[in-house]
Formats: sequence, structure tokens, C-alpha cells
Amino acid sequence: MDDILLDVQGVSHCFRLGKNTVLRALDGVSFQLRRGEIFGLVGESGSGKSTMARCIMSILRPTAGAIRYLGVNICDPGQFRAHKELLQTSRQLIFQDSASSLDPRMTVADIIAEPMAIHRARPPRGSLRNEAAFQLKCVGLDQGCLDRRPGELSGGQRQRVAIARALSMGPELLVADEPIASLDVSIQAQIINLFRHLQEEHGFTFLFIAHDLAVVRYLCSRVGVLYQGKLVEVGPAKEVFADPRHPYTRALLSAIPIPDPRRERERVPQSFDPAQFCREGRLREVSPGHWVLEKEGES
Amino acid sequence: MRQKNPFLYYGGKLVGFAVSLFLLSLAVFYVARLAPGDPLVSYYGDRAEKMTVQERTRAEERLGLDQPIHVQYVRWLEGAVRGEFGISYKYKTDVIEVIAARLPNTLLLGGIGFAVIFAGALALGAICAWNEEKWLDRIICKAGTVVSCIPEFWLSLVLILVFAVQLRWLPSSGAYTIGGGGIGDRAVHLVLPLVVTAAGHLWYYAYMIRNRLLEELRSDYVLLAKSKGLSRRAVLVRHCLRGIMPSYLSLMAISVPHILGGTYIVETVFSYPGIGTLSYESARYQDYNLLMILCIISGGTVILCNILAQIVSERIDPRMRADTPPEVTDHG
Amino acid sequence: MSDLLEIKNLSVSFRTPQGEVEAVRDVSFSLHPGEVLAIVGESGCGKSVLCRSIMKLLPRNAWIKGGTILADGTDITRYSQRDMDRLRGRLFSMVLQDPMAALNPTMTVGAQIAEAVRIHQPRMDRAAVRRRVLELMELVGIDRPEDRYGRYPFDFSGGMRQRSVMAIALACGPKVLFADEPTTALDVTIQAQILDLLRDVQARLGTASVLVTHDLGVVARAADRVAVMYAGRIVETGTVEDIFYDPRHPYTWGLLRSLPAWAKEDEPLYTIPGMPPSLLHPPKGDAFACRNEYALAIDYQEAPPMFQVSESHFAATWLLDERAPKIAPPLGGGLNG
Repeated sequence: MDDILLDVQGVSHCFRLGKNTVLRALDGVSFQLRRGEIFGLVGESGSGKSTMARCIMSILRPTAGAIRYLGVNICDPGQFRAHKELLQTSRQLIFQDSASSLDPRMTVADIIAEPMAIHRARPPRGSLRNEAAFQLKCVGLDQGCLDRRPGELSGGQRQRVAIARALSMGPELLVADEPIASLDVSIQAQIINLFRHLQEEHGFTFLFIAHDLAVVRYLCSRVGVLYQGKLVEVGPAKEVFADPRHPYTRALLSAIPIPDPRRERERVPQSFDPAQFCREGRLREVSPGHWVLEKEGES
Repeated sequence: MRQKNPFLYYGGKLVGFAVSLFLLSLAVFYVARLAPGDPLVSYYGDRAEKMTVQERTRAEERLGLDQPIHVQYVRWLEGAVRGEFGISYKYKTDVIEVIAARLPNTLLLGGIGFAVIFAGALALGAICAWNEEKWLDRIICKAGTVVSCIPEFWLSLVLILVFAVQLRWLPSSGAYTIGGGGIGDRAVHLVLPLVVTAAGHLWYYAYMIRNRLLEELRSDYVLLAKSKGLSRRAVLVRHCLRGIMPSYLSLMAISVPHILGGTYIVETVFSYPGIGTLSYESARYQDYNLLMILCIISGGTVILCNILAQIVSERIDPRMRADTPPEVTDHG
Repeated sequence: MSDLLEIKNLSVSFRTPQGEVEAVRDVSFSLHPGEVLAIVGESGCGKSVLCRSIMKLLPRNAWIKGGTILADGTDITRYSQRDMDRLRGRLFSMVLQDPMAALNPTMTVGAQIAEAVRIHQPRMDRAAVRRRVLELMELVGIDRPEDRYGRYPFDFSGGMRQRSVMAIALACGPKVLFADEPTTALDVTIQAQILDLLRDVQARLGTASVLVTHDLGVVARAADRVAVMYAGRIVETGTVEDIFYDPRHPYTWGLLRSLPAWAKEDEPLYTIPGMPPSLLHPPKGDAFACRNEYALAIDYQEAPPMFQVSESHFAATWLLDERAPKIAPPLGGGLNG
């Protein structure tokens, strides 16, 4: 199909920890990203969601499976080399910790323009500085920030600069790995609004990786749930949150505290037995676009 | 946790040790023969220069120097395995005997020096960390910077001038008074070399201890330890010192050659009859057999110390043990 | 005498190369026996500093500028570190954000809990200490404590580590437990377990807790009373119901409204404009004034006092003054309201 930007097919990744220990960080994960959507990938620490982001960004090479970006299999070194320029400019990564992903010695203008300088791209707005100013405006910062350094900015501003840098190459796909986890509540809201604005107004596609389910429910159109390297449930966000089918998704949802004391107290504390969290079997479509991992033979 | 087989574990380390020693001996053997100079001079003295060609050939044959290097090496190795390291050209006796006379002196100086540095640095570092940014800390740090900038040989000469020549409190050279000597006499002879050895190295380690301790004192586990009611001193001793011990021990073990090298210089300046002066002579006069065994001893000590450091830090710090254990999970 | 902690007009400052940072400014609150008081605020609002200043665990460049701290009826404001050593662990103890960093990596978990037990009971014999440690481990929900006694922190998962920290904190039966973002570093499912444990311990031992957090969901789940902090001051305090269903301070409104859980699906999230002020030179008047869409002229002149809303509910905003214009609060009544 035309509107599929990213196609992840049966991707597995293993880390060798020692001579006899292998950590399966990802185990046969498949999903697709449609052009212009925000796809949420949720899971707890150790579920493999950051590994997924790194595989998609070609920082890690999957041990098995294929990732097709615009039809190019990026796991294949030959194909990767052939489309290197396209792949490196049109996919961008936004990190959780903007403080350490920005060089403290560079000015904001230099940081934003750096990817263009590296790729020797011709700036469409005359100079690199104009380009930086334009991107800065895009993410809602004023021109006064251009000559400041990351140390002089607040956490929210730094994250905006990191987003502006990602936007500077005119990417199609933005992979955001926990972009708001280290921000304060009121700043989180600003960044979430910015993501939404970028998707709605400029048509960027996002892979939004998070552990905060309330944010994912609000922001994402579709969501995938990772559990110990397996994709256990994937579907439209509204549906997954309203009608979670996999026991792990249910456990996860029931664990989010609701900011409403009465409702919170009324809830019966649920305990789940991880033995129930099935990791075997295959995805079955329970309703259009909503897939759940189930044991074969069960209905 | 999966227990490692101790025989395999220590056996492996032992094999590594032997291999390192072998490679070391090979390297030293070849490099020594590359150096210019005439080994016969150290054996025959001035006579070597007046020798005829035939005499020279015969002399070389006698010492086995006419063979190609690798044959010489194999021959040396055969002897070494049996514990025969040949004779010293200069002293014309078995090298073992030559060394046996000197080794205790160096061990005494190096051992005490090392102990002083080890304990002194720990104490000074802890005192500084305890009094962070107070006057005592500042004085010790400043003094340390100044003293460690003084070259060892110069410091030795100044000390000799002041304490031996001017004040006549301490002897200027040697390990004991010829003819006399008891424990007191030896101790008196050790004072100046010890001071110089320690002064050169102590500060560096003390400063490192101080900074590592301060780093630890700012960590969360110290906060928790304090919040459970542990006093600051108990936190420093029981938690922080323990925390830095593994890295300190491995650093100290690695620094053994450093300190050893320092005592070699000190020995030369104070004409202290130890391994240091001997090494210097053996290298200078192409006393191959002596040089070989000295290198083996020094190198062996270094490698052994490194292995020891590793074992010790693995004992103290559980994280250093190689295997990753199974995790205790929340659902466990 | 009934209050475990009574803080009056406490101010704490930090000496920095740039000047004096006023981290806590004129804060008063009290903690009743057996309750969970949540202190909510954004990073840098002084909530952690407040806790640490009460336990006197501040870094060296910080000092208590003014005010009094009454702990169990005794004024401990001028207590020396040595005096504090006797109180820490027995009267109050602490749980920290990152349990991995909070545990000494080179000691077994059992030994660390045992150390905490022994500090205030030095004469306890070995077997009794061990029994007590196992009992504590059971209390905080570490099962098979016998097996885990000799394990090191790195053998444990995040949740188990935090449980171990709880065991250490509870070792000498403290009356007050300071929990500084105890679940921030943990996964949601583990967070729920730890919060339940906190409440459970509360119910069983009657320990009062001060729960420092930025997460209003956590507050709703675990707290009895709430104090909202902004720029070093407490701007609103009340029961959870007061704060969630009848908030009065514009900052509390902003915090609640910016939560995604409250948002309508196709509307952008509410955001509080601007940024928190620097505490290096805190602004005159109400620190929140320049971000406050309901700000009055007087907010820029004079800091508002605490107005009483009800018996339990106080808020520091001039909007509650009788001369102020009446404003319909933008929210109230919880998620459905």
C-alpha cells in the first residue's frame, strides 16, 4: 500500500551479555506506520521499545527480520548504501534527555543548522542562520534563543531545540524516544501540543515511544504494546484503551493512577499473575485493525 | 549465583601469568642483545680490549655468545626452567647469589615504602575529605602539590645535605654501617630513602582518595545511610571507604612498578645496595644473565600484582564478578 | 502536641557562585499522625529541599535561614548533626527516588537492612537482628527473604530494590517517612505496587508519610492531604478532595488542566504559559503572577497571605480576598466535572 511509510516485519534483536547469556530484546515484532499518523509504542523498561527505535534508526541492526522504509529494506547493507542520503535525512530521532543530546558548547543556531551543514544541503531560506530561525519559530521559540547555548535554556526549551534540529532536514519520519519523560507536567503539555501541531499542520509521521499511557491515549492514533520484546497488542488507540484484550495490556492500564481521588479509591486493586501474560502464539485480528497476541487454537 | 570452578578460574590466571612472563623474557632477551656494547668487557674488564681475535672467539664460545640469538635463548630457557639462570659476568658468581644478597634490601625499602604510601594516602585522603574545604584540607592539598613537583633526585640531595652533611643526624648512603649494624642501624639508613620514595607518590594517591570519597559522599546511598541514623564518620568509614576500595586496590597494584621504579632511582642516589642499583649496572655493562633475571623478577611482580588486584577487587565488589546472575523479579 | 511535625515559616537558601538561591521561602505546614501528606510541584520548586532540611541532610552550601521545625513537640531547628543522628531512623527516615543509587552496591541487602536495625539497638544479638531483618523484608513484600538476605542490590529488580529501601527506612519504626519521588524511576505496574505498599505500611504501623511527587495521579492514589508548592512556597493545601474537586489557586488549576487525562480529545492540552521564575532573585509579590491569567494588580506588589477556604483548605491567592473580583474556576468536580 502506498500510504505505508515504515514497515517493520518480524524484527528480532538479541544482545549477547556473556558467553552463555543472550538477551532477546525484540522477538519477531511486526507493525506498520502509515504516513502522517502518530503511532505510540508503549511498554515498561526492558520491553525493547528503545531497541526498536534504534533498529528503525539503523543504530542497531536487527538479528532477524526486515524494516522497510519507503520500500527500502534498511537492514540490507547494499540497499542501505544505495539510499544512504535519503535514509539519513528523512528519518530523525528525538531523545529523552535533551540536555545530553545537545552539545553544550554550540549555540542554538549552530545546533539546528548542523545537520544541514553536514549534508551540505542548500538552505532554502538563503542562509543556515535563516533556516535555524525558521525552524525555531516552527517549534514555538523566539529568535532571541538563536545565540544562546543549551545550558542557558530550560528543559522544555532544550527539547524544542532538539525537535527543531530534527526538523531541519525536512524529515518524514520522526522517532521520539520518551521525549517528555524528563519534563515537568506543565512543560510536557507544551511539547505534546507541539507534536500534535507538527503532525496536523505539517503532516509529519511520528513513532512516539513512551511509558506514560495517558499521554499516548491523548496523542496517538494507533498504539502498539510491547511486553518483553513481543508485540502483544496493536490497534487504534481509542479501541485499545477502551477495550484492551491482552491480559498484559489490561494490567498496564489498570496500573496507571487516575488523577481523581474518588475514582482512584473506588478502584479495586488488581493483581496480575505474569504467568497469564501469554508471549506465545500469533497476532489475531479481533476487530478491524486491532490485533492481539493469542495462543493458537484459542479463540 | 552460578559459582565458578575455582581451579579453572585460578588455573586460567596462572596460565596467563606464565605466558606473560615467557613473552616478557623473550622481548628482554632480544632487546638486550640489540643494545650496543660489549658483554666481554663486563666479564674480563680491561683485559677484553687487549684480546686477540682468537682469544675473543674462545671467550665468546665459553659464554655461549657465538651462537645465533634464538639458540642462546632456548639454552637460557632450558636453564631457567631448571632454575639455573647462569652466572653474572661482572660478579662471576651465580646470578641467584648476587640477587639474594640485594633483594632483601629492596624488598625492605619498597615494601615499607609501599605500605607507607598505601596507608598514608588513605589517611590523608580521608582527613581531607572529612574536612572538605576547611583549612586542614587546603593546607594538605597545597603542600601535596608543592612536594610532588620536586624531582626525586633533587629532593634526595637536599635531604642528604641537610640531615647527613649539616645536621649529621642520619647517614647519607648505604643500607647499614659496615662492620656494625643491628635493626636500629638499618632503620636509620632507611629513613631518608623512605621519605623520598613516599614524598614522590603519596600526594597523588591521597588526592585521588579525597576526590573519590567526596564523590561517594554526595551519592544517594550516603543520603540513605545518613537518613537511617548512621553518623557521618560511620558513613565515611563503613560505606564510602568500602566503596572506593576496589578501585583503590587495583590502582595501587598497578602502581607497584611506578613505586618500584621510584625506589630504583632512590637506591642509586643513596647508593643503597638493592636491586635498583644492580639493574642499572647490569643494563649498562651488558651483564645479560643478571639483566634477564632482574627483568623477570620485576615483570613478574608487576603481573602478579595486577592479577592480585583483580582477585581482590572481585572479592570486595560483587559487581566485578564476571557472570551476570539471574534477576530477582517483582513477581518472583 | 498532636502534630508529628510542625514547620513554621521555614526558609532555606543555597549559597551559589551566582548568589543566594532561596529554595524554600516561608513555608509552614504540619503533619498529623498516621496521614500521608503529598507535596506536589514541578522540579526546582523546593519540595525535596524542604524534606531534606527537616532531616538536616542538606548539602554544605545550604542553610536554614529562618523558621522553626518542631518534631514530636521538640524544637530541632538548632540541633547539631550529632543530635540529628539520634533522631534519624527512629523519628524519621527517608525513601529516595532511585533505589539503585540509594543502596550501597557493595553490601548485601540483608547487611544494609541489618545495619539500619543495629544503629539504634546496638545491643541486639546477631540472631535477633537477623530475625528482625527477615521480618522487615516480609513486611515490605519481599518473598523468600531467607534466600534474598545475602543478595546484592544488583541482583534485584527495580521494584524489589525500592522495597529493600523501604525495609531500611522502616527498620527502627520511624514515626515519619519522607518518600521523595519513590516511584518516579519505576514502571507503572511496579509503581502501583509500591504505592499500595506505602498505604499498607501506613495502615499497619501507623507511620505518617510525606510523599514528594510531581505526579498528580500518584497523589490521588496515595495521599490524604496535599500541599502544592510553587517557587519555594506552599501555594495551596488541603485534603485530596479539596485540591482535586475544589482547587482555588490558579497554579493548581493550571497543573490539573494540563494533564492529558483531563483533556478533550480534539482540543489541544491546556498549558501554563511561561516558565517558573529563578529562585536566585525571586520576583516581588506573587511568584506565579506573570504566568497567571487571573493575576490582579496587587499580585505584582505583595505576596498573598494564606486565605482559609474551609477548616482544612488554605490557598495563597489574592483571588480569595473579599475585594477581589469573583472568578468562576475553570474546573472542579473531578474528571467528569
